[in-house]
Amino acid sequence: MHREAAAVSERPEARAARAVLSVENLVVGYPVAGRMVKPVDGLSFRVHEREVVGLIGDAGSGKSTAALALLGLARAPGKILGGRVDFEGRDLLKLPDAEIRAIRGRDIGIIVQNPRSSLNPMLRVGKQIGYAYQAHNEANAATARRKAVEMLRMVGINDPESRAEAYAHELSGGMAQRALIAMALSSRPKLLIADEPTSGLDVTIQAQFLDEMWNTVQRTGSAILLITQELGTLANYCDRVLVLHEGRIVEDAPVKQFFADPQHPYSQQILKLQRERGTSLGLPPIYTGTKPLLATRDLRKTFAVRHTKKLIQAVDKVSLQIGRGETLGLVGESGSGKTTVGRCLLRLLEPSAGSVVFDGADLVKLPPTDMRRYRSKLQIVFQDPFDSLNPRWTIRQILTEPLDLHTELSTSEKRRRAEELIDLVDLDRTLLERKPRGLGAGALQRINIARALACNPEFIVLDEPTSVLSPRARVGLIELLVRLQKELGISYLFISHDLTTVRYLCHKVSVMYLGQIVETGTVEQVFSRPRHPYSQALLSAHLFPDPSNRRVDQSIPAALEGEIPSPIDLPHGCYLASRCPHVVDECRATPQRLEPVGEGQEVRCWRAAKGDIQAFGGVHG
Amino acid sequence: MSRPHTLDTADLLPRRRRDWLFALGVTIVSTVVVLAIVGPYVGPYDPTMTTPNVSMPPPSLSEIPGLFGAWVSGSLEAPPHWMGTDASGFDVFSRVIAAPRTDLVIALVANGLSLLVGVFLGLIAGYYRNAATELMMRVSDVMQSFPVFISAMVLVALAGRSTTNIVIALAFVYTPIYVRLTRAEVMSQKVRGFVEAARALGNTELSIAIRHVLPNSLTPALIQASVTIGFAILLTAGLSFVGAGVRPPTPEWGLMISTGANQIILGEWWPSVFPGIAISLTVFGFAVLGNALERRYDAS
Repeated sequence: MHREAAAVSERPEARAARAVLSVENLVVGYPVAGRMVKPVDGLSFRVHEREVVGLIGDAGSGKSTAALALLGLARAPGKILGGRVDFEGRDLLKLPDAEIRAIRGRDIGIIVQNPRSSLNPMLRVGKQIGYAYQAHNEANAATARRKAVEMLRMVGINDPESRAEAYAHELSGGMAQRALIAMALSSRPKLLIADEPTSGLDVTIQAQFLDEMWNTVQRTGSAILLITQELGTLANYCDRVLVLHEGRIVEDAPVKQFFADPQHPYSQQILKLQRERGTSLGLPPIYTGTKPLLATRDLRKTFAVRHTKKLIQAVDKVSLQIGRGETLGLVGESGSGKTTVGRCLLRLLEPSAGSVVFDGADLVKLPPTDMRRYRSKLQIVFQDPFDSLNPRWTIRQILTEPLDLHTELSTSEKRRRAEELIDLVDLDRTLLERKPRGLGAGALQRINIARALACNPEFIVLDEPTSVLSPRARVGLIELLVRLQKELGISYLFISHDLTTVRYLCHKVSVMYLGQIVETGTVEQVFSRPRHPYSQALLSAHLFPDPSNRRVDQSIPAALEGEIPSPIDLPHGCYLASRCPHVVDECRATPQRLEPVGEGQEVRCWRAAKGDIQAFGGVHG
Repeated sequence: MSRPHTLDTADLLPRRRRDWLFALGVTIVSTVVVLAIVGPYVGPYDPTMTTPNVSMPPPSLSEIPGLFGAWVSGSLEAPPHWMGTDASGFDVFSRVIAAPRTDLVIALVANGLSLLVGVFLGLIAGYYRNAATELMMRVSDVMQSFPVFISAMVLVALAGRSTTNIVIALAFVYTPIYVRLTRAEVMSQKVRGFVEAARALGNTELSIAIRHVLPNSLTPALIQASVTIGFAILLTAGLSFVGAGVRPPTPEWGLMISTGANQIILGEWWPSVFPGIAISLTVFGFAVLGNALERRYDAS
C-alpha cells in the first residue's frame, strides 16, 4: 500500500529535497500481562526538507507513541524494540544519551498537545524562550533575551519587547501558543514535530496558530511532522499525508492525491463523506408548512457572578424554531452560549426568561413532575461519551433505565427493547452485558444515542457529539444520525463548532456570538452567502477538508482583531463592534436586532441587512 | 485526548512491589480477623485466668525449639508460656492472641457506624449545598479541630467506661472524616455527564443521588475505612492505656501494655512489648492494605 514513488511533495522547492528524517521499521512495545503489545509495529516513512507532512490516525493507532519514539523515547515500561530513525544521516536510536539530548529541542523541535499548559507559569515568557535557546546554543543571558524577542517578533506578536516580560497567564490563548512556537523554533530546528497542537482550541485560534506555524516554518526552512485527527488540518496545511493504522503507515500520498483517490480501506472510510457528499448522504427533506415542533421565544439565561451583584449574560433573547424531522445547527465559538441554549431547552438549566414551546406546551412553565413526563420526548446526547454513562452500570442497565422511568413494559419486553436499540445503532448485542469501561468513544457515543432513543423521542439535542471522536468513528456517527433521522423522523438541534459536520448534517443553521444569534438561514445560505461579519469570519477561519482550496495558498481576509467583550459588561450597541472590520459609529450606539434579509435568512447587523457589507465568497463544494 | 488505549496506567506501575505489599497487608489483616474469631479459645491458657507463675520471662530463643518439641510430644505437664507471664500471672501469649476479639470488634463496629453515618451525611452535604449542610460542615470542622484521642477520651469519661460507649465515642470522632471524603467525591461526581444524563432521562433528584451519585462516590470512604480501622485499634488500645477503655481483666492490647508498663523499670519488658508489637503490626497491615487499595483505585 506504500506509494514511495509518489512520496515527494508537490511543492516545487521540496521536489528535489533530501530526507531530513527517515524512519525504517520502527517498533515500540509495551509488556501487558506477560506479552508484548506493539502500538508501533514496523513504522517507515520519510520527511523531506521544508516539507509539511501530516500524520493522521485513530485514537490508539500509535500516533503519540510514534512521535516520542522518533526522539528515542518511550513511556515506561515501553521499549523501542527495533528499527532505525535516521536524522541528518545519523541513527538516533544508536546515539549516546548526551548526543540525542542535544538533538532534541535543537535540531528537532516539539510542540505537544495543549500548548497552553506547556508554558511554565512561574517564568516570564522571554526567559523561557531564552532558556530553550541557551540549552542548545552558547549564549549569554543578553543574547538569549535578544533572541527571544526576535523569535516573538517572528511569530507575529506585536510589541515583543514588553510581551517577553509577561507571564503565561497574562497572554491570550493565541499568544501563548505563538510563544510556544517561538520556543520550539528558537534554535531553528530542521524538523518540528507537532502532536495535535490545536486539539481543543476554537476554530479561529486554531487557524491562527496553524497559519503562524506554517508561516514561521516557511521562513526558518524547517520541516514539520504534524500529527492530527482533523482532515481539515491535513487538507489546508500539509504537503503529504501519512495514514497510521494499527502501528503502521498504510498510506503515504501527496495531499491532493490522498483526498482525490485514497487507496487504503481505512483512508477511504475516513474520507467517505467528502467523496460521497451530495449523493448517498442526502438529508431527509423537511416537512414544510407545519407548525414548528419546538420553538423558543426570547430565551435568556444569566448566571450570577459570585460575591457580586453582576450577571453573566450567557444566552440573550434567543428565538429558535425547529420543525419536525429537521436539523438545526447551532454554531459558534466556545463561550458563545450554544451549549447553554441546549441545556435550557431541556430545562437542565432553568431559563431566566422566555419560553420553550414544545408540541404546544410551554416547558418552562411546567411543574417538575409534568416536566419529567415530557423528558421521554426530548432527549440529549452530550459531548463526552465516556462521562455520560454511569461507569458502574452494564450497557443493558443503561439502556433500560429510560424504559423503567417512562414505560410499563415487562422485564422481557425491556430486554427485547434493549436489543432493538443496540441493533438500531449498529452495535453488537454482546456489548449489553459489558460496562462502559474499555469501550471506544465511537461505541460509547452510539450507546448514548441508543439510550436517548429508548422512548421514541421526537427531538434530540446533540451537544457536540462528534468532537471527541477519532476520524473513522466520526464518519460512522454522522451517517448513523442521518439514517436515524430518515427512519424515525426525529428533529435535532445539532450544537457544534465543527462547520464541516454541520454542513453534512443540518438543514438550517444559526450562528451565535456572545449569547445572541447573529445569523440564521439554511445551510446553503449561511455557508455560501454569509451576511454577518462574524459568520464571515467564522467561515473563513474554518478548515474545510478540501485540498483544492487550501488556506495557505490564498490570502485570507483578516481574522477578527481585538478583544472579545466580557459577557458581564456587554456593550450597548452591536456586540461585535470592537472587532468588526465594517464598524461605523452608529453600530456602537444602536443595539442590533435580527432583520430578515430574504428567503428566511435573518441577520443581526443593520449594515448587512441594508446590503452595505459585501457577502464574501463563502464556501463552495 | 486518545482516551481508549490498549494500555492501562495500572500496567505502567511497578507491578511486583505493589502486589508484594498488598499480599503482606492481606496476610496480616486476615490473621487478625481469624484471631478475632477464634483467638480466645485457641490459646494455651484461659486469657482471663491467672496462673501460679508470676512475672515469668519468655523462653530464650535457643530454648524455643527444644521446648516446642517437648510440647508437641506432650512431655510437659503444662504448656509453656511463650511470651512469659505478667505480674498477676496471666499468660501473655494467650492474651495477645485473644485481644483482637476486643480490639478488632470495637474498631470494626465503630468504623462501620461512622462509615454509614458519614457517607449518608456526606451524600446530603455534597448533593444539596445549602445553609443547613454548610452548618453541618462547620460543626464537623469543630469536631475535627480537637485531637481524636482527646475527644474520644472526654466522651468516654463523660458517658462511662463501657464497650458500647467506647464504640460510640470512636464512631463519633471518625464520622467527620467520612463526611468530608464522601462530600468531596459527591461534589465531583454530581457534575459528571451521566448525572446530567440521568436528569435528562427524567429521574428525580433523590433517585439520581442514590442510584447514580452514591455508588460512584463510595470508593474514597471505603479505602479510608481500611486505614481508619488500623487507627481505631490504636485508639482503642490508647484509651485502655490511659484508663478510659475496657476494664481488666479483658484481654486488650492497650490494657496489657499499660499494666505491664509498671514493671518495665524492673526489667520485665515482655508483658508490654509483645502486645505493642501486635498493635504495630496490625496498624501497619491495615495501612498497607488501604494504600494498595488506593493505588488500585487511582490506577483505574
